[in-house]
Amino acid sequence: MVTLWVRYRRYSLLGLVLVAGASLLTLQQVRPGEGLWVAEAVAAVTAPVQLGFARVHRGAAELWTTYLGWKQLHADRTRLSAEVTALRLRQLRYDGLETENNRLRELFALQERLPVRTIGAEVVAREWNGFTRGLTIGRGRVDGVERLAPVIVMRGVVGRIAGLRRNSAIVQLLTDPASSIGGVVNRTRAQGLVEGVAGGRLRLKLAASEEGVQSGDLVLTSGIGELFPKGLPLGRVLRVFPATGVFRTAEVEPAVDLATVEEVLVLPRGMTGDLASASSER
Amino acid sequence: MRLPLYALAVSGATLVQGTVVPVVGIGGVVPDIPVILVVLLALRRGPEVGCLLGFALGLAEDVLVGGPLGVHTVSKAFVGFVVGTLPRWFLVSRAAVTIAVAVLASVADGVLRFGLLQIFHYPAGLGELLTRVILPQAAYNGLLATAAVTLPAVWMRR
Repeated sequence: MVTLWVRYRRYSLLGLVLVAGASLLTLQQVRPGEGLWVAEAVAAVTAPVQLGFARVHRGAAELWTTYLGWKQLHADRTRLSAEVTALRLRQLRYDGLETENNRLRELFALQERLPVRTIGAEVVAREWNGFTRGLTIGRGRVDGVERLAPVIVMRGVVGRIAGLRRNSAIVQLLTDPASSIGGVVNRTRAQGLVEGVAGGRLRLKLAASEEGVQSGDLVLTSGIGELFPKGLPLGRVLRVFPATGVFRTAEVEPAVDLATVEEVLVLPRGMTGDLASASSER
Repeated sequence: MRLPLYALAVSGATLVQGTVVPVVGIGGVVPDIPVILVVLLALRRGPEVGCLLGFALGLAEDVLVGGPLGVHTVSKAFVGFVVGTLPRWFLVSRAAVTIAVAVLASVADGVLRFGLLQIFHYPAGLGELLTRVILPQAAYNGLLATAAVTLPAVWMRR
C-alpha cells in the first residue's frame, strides 16, 4: 500500500484533493442548508478563517479606499492649487488694468481741464542710477514735443524735456540733481528755487529774509523763467533748516511719486498763465 | 522550508484578489490573481505544489467569495496539478510559453468552475460565460502574467 502511494504519489495527491473538493460540493448538494456534520465541521473550521479573512479584507479594503481618497485629495489639491495660481495671476492682471485705467482717466481728466493742447505720452524707460534721474517717453519730435517743455501728471510736475529724438524724448526729472525750477510757497507766496537732490528729494532755497515757510507747506511752480506755467504742485515741505548765510533751505518731498509714473502729459514750451485750477493737489 | 512562503503567497494573493483587483477592473473584467500564482508556481515546483497550492488558494477564495464551497478549490487544484506536469513536455522557461499556459489555464479554470457549478444549477450558459467572463479574464491574466514574467527579467538585467 505504502509502495503504491509512493509510486503514484502525484496522482494519489490529486485524487485526495479532488475527493475532498468533490465531497464539499456533494455534501452541499445532497443536504442543502442542513446542518450536515461534515458541513458543520467544515464551517467550524472555515468560519473563524472566514471571519479573519473578512476582517483583514475589510481592513485592507478600507486602507485601499483611504489610499484612493488620499490620492483623489492630492489630485484635487494639485488641481485647485493650479486654479488658485491662475486666478491670482488673472487677479493681478485685472488689478494692473484697473490701476492703468484709473491713471489714464486721471490723465485724460487733466488733459480736458488744461486750457492748452497737451501731448499724452507713455513712459518707456527709466534712468534711475542716483547720479541722474530721467525718464524716456514714447513721444518725440514728430509728435510735436519740444525741448525744455514741461512734463506733468495729475498730481504735479514730473520734469522737463531734456533730450529730444524723432520718436522719443528724455525727461529730466525735477529730482535730478541738475534740475532747478522756480517755486513758491502756496501759503505765504514766498519765492525760491526748487532743486533736485541726490537721493530723490527736493531742496527749496529761499532768501534768508523770507520767514514764511514751515513743515507741510505746499510748494508750487512760480512761473518765473517762463519754462513752467504757474501753480503746478512741486511738493510738500518736510522740514525747514536754519538759515545759513544768505539762504534758508527746506527739504521738500515731490508731489509726484516719480518711481511709479506710467503716463505723462507734455505741455507746450514757454507756456505762461496760472494752472492752479487744473492741478489736483492743494 | 518553503511552507511559510507559500502561506504568505496564498494570503497575499487572496487579499489582493479581494481588495485591489475589484478596483483595477477594465470594463467590468477583473483578473484572477490566484490562478496566475498557481500557474507560475506549478510550472517551477511541479504538480504536487501546484495541486496543494491550488487547493489552498481555491479554498481561501471560496471562503472569501462565499459561494459554494469547493468550486474554486477543485478547479484550481486540478489546474495546478495539470500545469505542474507540463514541464515534462514543454520548455516552460520561455516567457511566451509561461504566458500561453497562464491564458489557457485561466480558460480551463473558468470552464471547470462552470462545470462544477452545474451541480448547483448555475443559470448562465457556457457561451455567454466564455465571451463575457472567461476569455476576457484569461486575456487580462495573460497581460499580468506577461508583466510578472518579463519585469523581473528586465530588472535583473539592470
